[in-house]
Amino acid sequence: MTMSKAPMTLQVLSLRYAVVAIVFLALAGIEGMFMRTQLSNISVNVPGVITIPMTPEHYYAMLTAHPLVGAYGWAYLAVFAAFYFLVPTLTKKPLYSMRLANGHMWMHIVGLLTVWSAGYFLRFGSLYTVYWPLPVVRFPPVSVVAFAVGLALVELSVLCFIFNLFATILMRSEASPLPKGVALHSLLMASFGLDGMVRSLRGLFGRKTALNGGTHAPDPEPLPVFVVAVMRGSIDAVLNAVVLAGAGVLMLVFTLPTLLTGLRLDPLIIDPLVYKNVFWWGLDMIADGDVLIWVAGTLYLLAPILTNRPLYGEQVVRYVILTDLIVSMGVWSHHLLSDRPQPDWMRLISGQFITWGEFFTMGLSFFSVLMTLWLARPLKFNMPMKFMLGGIMGFALGGGSGLLQANFAVNLVMHNTQWVPGFHIHQMLLTGLSSILFAAIYALLPMLTGTGLKSERLSNLHFWLWTIGGVGMAFSMGLAWRDGMLRRTLYRGVEMYLPYMNAATFFGVVLALGFLAFLVNLVRTYGLRTLIALFIPSIAKPK
Amino acid sequence: MEKEEKHYLYVLIVAALLINAITVSPLIPWQGWTFWSKPTPTSAFDISICNYQFTLPSGGIRAKVSEPVKFVVTSCDVTYGFGVFHKSGRMLFQIQVLPNYGNEIVWIFDEPGSYTIRSTEYSGPEHPFMVLPDAITVVP
Repeated sequence: MTMSKAPMTLQVLSLRYAVVAIVFLALAGIEGMFMRTQLSNISVNVPGVITIPMTPEHYYAMLTAHPLVGAYGWAYLAVFAAFYFLVPTLTKKPLYSMRLANGHMWMHIVGLLTVWSAGYFLRFGSLYTVYWPLPVVRFPPVSVVAFAVGLALVELSVLCFIFNLFATILMRSEASPLPKGVALHSLLMASFGLDGMVRSLRGLFGRKTALNGGTHAPDPEPLPVFVVAVMRGSIDAVLNAVVLAGAGVLMLVFTLPTLLTGLRLDPLIIDPLVYKNVFWWGLDMIADGDVLIWVAGTLYLLAPILTNRPLYGEQVVRYVILTDLIVSMGVWSHHLLSDRPQPDWMRLISGQFITWGEFFTMGLSFFSVLMTLWLARPLKFNMPMKFMLGGIMGFALGGGSGLLQANFAVNLVMHNTQWVPGFHIHQMLLTGLSSILFAAIYALLPMLTGTGLKSERLSNLHFWLWTIGGVGMAFSMGLAWRDGMLRRTLYRGVEMYLPYMNAATFFGVVLALGFLAFLVNLVRTYGLRTLIALFIPSIAKPK
Repeated sequence: MEKEEKHYLYVLIVAALLINAITVSPLIPWQGWTFWSKPTPTSAFDISICNYQFTLPSGGIRAKVSEPVKFVVTSCDVTYGFGVFHKSGRMLFQIQVLPNYGNEIVWIFDEPGSYTIRSTEYSGPEHPFMVLPDAITVVP
């Protein structure tokens, strides 16, 4: 791969996003390891940078930034990297706006760094949950403003991404000569997964088209199932962005008067339970919408590419995409199972029963992918394949534990214990989601650069250390639940949880070594100068 | 739908029905009194939380084994948690404590001894210190 001052291409754009995503993963990992040392009672002192044990204010500021950097910095940007290349390529259209794509990447970076700075420098530590009225009661107004502005920039960047993708698909081109209105109609149908249903109904009632003697125009070629999943996930992403940005606005409404005039509004005029319902409804659009359906979409694409055969059960998968839309909008109460004022019927139906819908949607998605692989035996176990299978295992483990905690009865003894961040969240995000993203990166790098990573040994090391480290850390944390260890809680001077936390730290190091193997391989293959030249073309080696 | 998909879907349906039926039923001990029978409590304890501080009833909290007791927990500022822990560290139960609401739960202790109260929800940097050892006494 060489860089020159040539105009921005999709490949360069995608690589830029990928490099920034990897940098944010490193940042989230460093934060994570600092927090692990804190829970393992390890002392570390880097003068002027960090002292462990930290003050609780510092620890909770880091705990606030960590998931946001991980989710919006690593996962979202890696997804943007892949989709900005794949969607135009698969639909055979140019990207609607290269300038917008490049611009909102910087907006995203500035937003995340602002969020991070609000914690690191101003000690905003309300956690990503920002339960009302915690942010405006406990933290300095200036830190609340910085956090809200940073979050708003990130969400605006997400909306720019969605707009750019929709505009790309709606654009008329030689490969897609549909009139604009028809294209919009088809896109919306596909986004909601209704295109497959309409086609089936037409088939059932035998509508005649120009192809079989009738007068109707033939149905347009269906959008690739990957693109349908991308569009479907985008609906959740928009709703999520609007709700989170709304939470940011609320914080500003209650903070700015204090900051500017000293006037303090009573935050409890906003009902904490109503807020919590709305907030989790929006936030779950990420956890139970984007993550699941974008990951499923990536699998729907990877499996056929890696096996060179069509996706097994593609029609069912299209229904799954539609079903998941309904499921993702109805599951939020599983975060309120311990809120006794929430009506029983909501906790039971939305919190437990609808959440089980994901058992079916993800179960059928994985079945479709695994059957595609099974029918393509003998398989070539290259890096994308290994990471894809590792990712499915991570989702199965993390998803299963999630279903257990999202249970009306079991939640009473499990909520806010280490089970949740261990068995569920870190299993889902490290072994599950991140492995799928690495599978996509390993599959895309040869397409983007013309060459794959140089060292197979380092790639294998990356895979095994990442998988063993991820599963090991998740289990070590999760098992502390048995002894009543809570999440988000520092246990200074308490020794009973140290065996669990020390094991988690050990596996965290294993995970970090796996990531380091990937970084070394990346730099050895392309050269640090080439990677930096993605952003500063003037330092590229002359051809 | 392919034959294999149908068979797989049946397996998913059976598993989902089975697990949900078992966990909703009174086979889970506390499900019997928190969801199904809802017995009348023999005593009730009001606990308030304000600025990270628990305030317990003036007479303390004493309960009898096998008798249903009600906890009503309120908050004056932010959301906290109310968790009750066994000496071994094991958590018996927890609920969220939302401001502006009376957050109630009825519990039946099955073992005598002293129990610890701890806030189970993050409420700010002082959250880890919200713990009251031996705050509940359960007698035979």
